[in-house]
Amino acid sequence: MSETGAIKANIAIAAEEAGAPSTNPWRRWEASMLGAGSIALLLLAWELVPYVFTISPGTKLFFTTPSQIAGTLWKMFATGTIWAPLGVSASGFALGLGLAIVVGLPLGVLLGRWRTLNAMADPFITAFNATPRLVFLPLVLLWFGLGLWSKVIIVFIGALFPILINTYEGVRNADKTLINVVRSFGAGEWAVARLVVLPNSLPYVVAGLRLGIGRAVLGVVVAEFFGSEEGLGVLMVQASGRYQVDVVFAGLIIFATLSLLMTGLVKLLEDRLSRWRPQRTAD
Amino acid sequence: MAHAEGRNLGLVEAEDGAGRQSFVERHRQLLLGCLAVALFFAAWQAVFLVVPFNPLFISKPSLIAKALLDLIASGQLLDDLRVSAIPFFYGFTAAIVVGVAVGIVMGWRARVGYALDPLMTALYASPLVALAPLLVVFFGVGVAGKAIIIFSLAVFPFVFNAYAGVRAVDPLLINVVRSLGGSEMNLYLKVILPSTLPYIVAGARLAVGRALVGVLVAEFFAASEGIGYAIARFGDLYALDRMFACILTVMVIAVALTEAVRWAERAAFPWRSGQ
Repeated sequence: MSETGAIKANIAIAAEEAGAPSTNPWRRWEASMLGAGSIALLLLAWELVPYVFTISPGTKLFFTTPSQIAGTLWKMFATGTIWAPLGVSASGFALGLGLAIVVGLPLGVLLGRWRTLNAMADPFITAFNATPRLVFLPLVLLWFGLGLWSKVIIVFIGALFPILINTYEGVRNADKTLINVVRSFGAGEWAVARLVVLPNSLPYVVAGLRLGIGRAVLGVVVAEFFGSEEGLGVLMVQASGRYQVDVVFAGLIIFATLSLLMTGLVKLLEDRLSRWRPQRTAD
Repeated sequence: MAHAEGRNLGLVEAEDGAGRQSFVERHRQLLLGCLAVALFFAAWQAVFLVVPFNPLFISKPSLIAKALLDLIASGQLLDDLRVSAIPFFYGFTAAIVVGVAVGIVMGWRARVGYALDPLMTALYASPLVALAPLLVVFFGVGVAGKAIIIFSLAVFPFVFNAYAGVRAVDPLLINVVRSLGGSEMNLYLKVILPSTLPYIVAGARLAVGRALVGVLVAEFFAASEGIGYAIARFGDLYALDRMFACILTVMVIAVALTEAVRWAERAAFPWRSGQ
């Protein structure tokens, strides 16, 4: 919340100290160039390892280079072998996340408005939020079997709590003065929710969604590792069993890209939805 | 309306002095929570008076309690917990040391920050759990393999929080120490570390959860002992009462660790507790 503000302020100060107004192009692009440069350097060093060191045949099994990974990635998309497992993973992800939103939003609003229920639900929310959901995986597998629904449940459990908790926080932090004003003008509970509570909690909800997406992606990976027959995660486990390290990394990159892409989309949504706000209140 | 009520109660309390409120009123939140938990277990137990009980599909609290006592009495549970705790300790300690060091350098040396920030972000965003099978194959399923998985999951919250903490250091304080002739060491010890500490502890809260995931992933994959292995094995054996007992144990530990960090946060940095 205020942390981001503080950080931004400090960046501004640092930039001033560094003489940001200068027109020196190096100064202006320094941050992004250094960032891209370090990644490029790392990839290059990785690529050069086999030329510089001799790798024992045993270690070679576990070794791959960025170019090999890129080649595998390209081949996966070019031959289209990636689409089927990716589709399976995506459907589990979408169903689980959708379910988490459908359940988490109304429940969060309810808990934010009703103190008794909140007090009663609190121990459960704390417990389930603190516990890695992976612990339920064997149980979920037992109940739902190998396949789509186990995955959906694991994704659901993972994504539910950030969404639920953030919605609840947003609802609770609604400005009391605004609520009283709307109330004084004769608004009922519905009008209060629509005019004050919802717009106010929106940034929190979106922030929760952002966290939820990250957890949902992890949920897909984990669920597919241990209890699934198809999907990108299954592909990766099988590949690591066959020492196809490049395929494992290719899968990792696909997951990371999807996660970043979706988080970025939500961030755009967040900016769009909170444009009217004088300053950001939640992160 | 619920909140206005809460506000007023708080005010009244402040005016009257807390002592005048009844026990129930003061601990309303806690009592309601305990009541809900008790109700939940009671309902779970009672439901099988109506619904036929299938021990291969579900267990009930009385059986779980019995299984838990058995596991404790036989020492099996403690053994498993100890096996899991050792790599957890190593991995987590390494994550603190490395994460905080990298984060502080990234925050204090702007160019290092520029250089590492995108890389760290990319690593943080990628589901590193996905590398677990590879790490297990490479490092084995012993303490080293588990500790490395735990480390790689738990290190990033420390990096990012220490980074953010250093950047949030009040420049005024730094200037004061410098003007009074403080050395670089003084700066680190008197300004940077104290003001970064709350961020690091907040990072620890996130890292605990991720480290627990690491333990479980490593032990689900390939292990012959440990609490994660116990859960997976009891699941395979359809020993649901013992599986639930282990799951509940993990839940209690997870809550205890998280709450302990949160308590430490409140006790050490009370000015931050509102955030």
